Amino acid sequence: MNWDALRLSLQVTAVATLLIVVVGLPLALLLARRRFRGQTLLETLISLPLVLPPTVVGYYLLLFLGRNGPVVGWLDVQLLFTWGAAALASAIVGLPLLVLSARAAFAGVDRSLENAARTLGSSELEVLWRVTLPLARRGILAGLVLAAARALGEFGATLMVAGNIPGRTQTLPLAIYDAVQNRDYAQANAMVLAMTALAFLSLWAARRFERGGARPAEAGSGRSE
Amino acid sequence: MADQSSRQGPAGARLTVDVEKRLPGLDLRVQLAVDSEILVLFGPSGAGKTTTLNLIAGLATPDAGSISLDDQVLLRKNRAGAALDVPARRRRIGYVFQQYALFPHLTALENVAYPLRSGRLGRRSPDAAPRARALLARMHMEHLALRYPHELSGGQQQRVAIARALAAEPRVLLLDEPFAALDSAVRERLQLDLAALQAEQRLVVIYVTHRLEDAFAIGHRLAILSDGQVQQIGRIDEVFRQPANSHVAQVMGLHNLFEARVLAVSPEHLLLDWDGLLVEAPPQAADVGAAVTAYIRPEDVKFLYPDRPLMGAVQHNQAAGVVLGQQASASFQRWRVLLSNGCEIEVRAPDHTYASLPLQAGQPVQVSLRKDAVVVLRPLLGVPL
Repeated sequence: MNWDALRLSLQVTAVATLLIVVVGLPLALLLARRRFRGQTLLETLISLPLVLPPTVVGYYLLLFLGRNGPVVGWLDVQLLFTWGAAALASAIVGLPLLVLSARAAFAGVDRSLENAARTLGSSELEVLWRVTLPLARRGILAGLVLAAARALGEFGATLMVAGNIPGRTQTLPLAIYDAVQNRDYAQANAMVLAMTALAFLSLWAARRFERGGARPAEAGSGRSE
Repeated sequence: MADQSSRQGPAGARLTVDVEKRLPGLDLRVQLAVDSEILVLFGPSGAGKTTTLNLIAGLATPDAGSISLDDQVLLRKNRAGAALDVPARRRRIGYVFQQYALFPHLTALENVAYPLRSGRLGRRSPDAAPRARALLARMHMEHLALRYPHELSGGQQQRVAIARALAAEPRVLLLDEPFAALDSAVRERLQLDLAALQAEQRLVVIYVTHRLEDAFAIGHRLAILSDGQVQQIGRIDEVFRQPANSHVAQVMGLHNLFEARVLAVSPEHLLLDWDGLLVEAPPQAADVGAAVTAYIRPEDVKFLYPDRPLMGAVQHNQAAGVVLGQQASASFQRWRVLLSNGCEIEVRAPDHTYASLPLQAGQPVQVSLRKDAVVVLRPLLGVPL
């Protein structure tokens, strides 16, 4: 078992998921609630990594993070071939999964509930925290699990921008590929099992969590008597 | 007695509204002054009733106008822009929505406690739970405190919604068709409770409805909103007996108002004698022999085809008559019919409804007064004199 790769995979996935939440939730809320110029363009751009080959996303990132790119030029940050680049690549390919799901969830929240909260003394932030987010919780969570799983499994774009440096940028999917190339099937088996267990656990936990909170959320649709 | 109790209770308030807003297909211009009373805002759908409530609550912004509660200005705006616009959360205006709008992820108790844990009433007041319980008890809902909204009936949900609105300690309570979806027994009880609450807390209550019966059940005053304008506002019996203009009379469907005597009361129906014509009304409490005022909307008077079998809905209350005249409006037609008892009645239907039936003046016809639509007005129960 390649413990370095497992640790790196978890680290990359955690940071990528955090990035996805911080960027994705406001984006989803914006897309669900406002009409603005360039909206379709923005939506298309966000969804593009879903349909592009990961190597194409990786190539763009390579240009973006490379020596002549803005990140080095303006910010003087060298991300290329670090685990940070892997996290960024994973975040970009996972982002559309959260945005699409959370956007639908936000759009499904009854606006009169938010209005009711306003007449009951809630500020906009409080409405978001106490009404909108709890009611959109299931869609957000579903999107988050998918996005995190996609980030965990990222291979192509990561290989392009972070390389395959054991102990520094080699995540589990890359390590599995290496192990198979070297015909080290004992290693490959262990890591494949670890990946499967991780995926299974996250899906199972999400389901459990959803069932625990399912009762009240169902009321949104079932107001019949 | 009444004077004493009102002096002990909380001070009354006065809400003044003068706003205008241009909507697609409607220019809304509403002027109202409401004291601690129940003002029933009545009008056909599309008249701007809900928009008016939203403007008052601060959920929508008018193009121009002013709103104030006593001497506190809630909104002042000219066409150039808002000079002052107090956000909804600071207006102390409670709002009870037609579809209840309870938070589905919270129990009844948590719903009522929601405003108590909110900014306006101080952070996390420690007595939130007991206060919420007391409010639920006030609305007779204490035993269902831990249920979620979808586990409650419509009437129960609306009780929770009212308790929740009261928890924010509003001075004004807006109700948008609050009991429209409830059956009549539940509606009556809720109306009584609401009237008691209003008197106890000296609330300014605006009650929006498209059912005239509601005005009689709980309204102190009645405002007729039609075509975006308040056509008339006044004591209910005044508006009812002396409509300010034909528009008001038409909106209220007052053409078919009649005096009748109660012949019999049974669980199936209320039998009325209208100058010799027997009229069945839906069952309700009444004294045999009492004189009552009843009406039926012109839409609920149907012509019968002599050559067709009768459908269930028009089997009751048949009468012979003669068409006096016909009048066409934008999308519907009206006929005046002289009934066999010597009284006139108006029939209204969308264009082409009776295309195959000869209905010119002088034509003998059969009409039916839909039983469920015969409304017997209570003798102005809610009006304090």
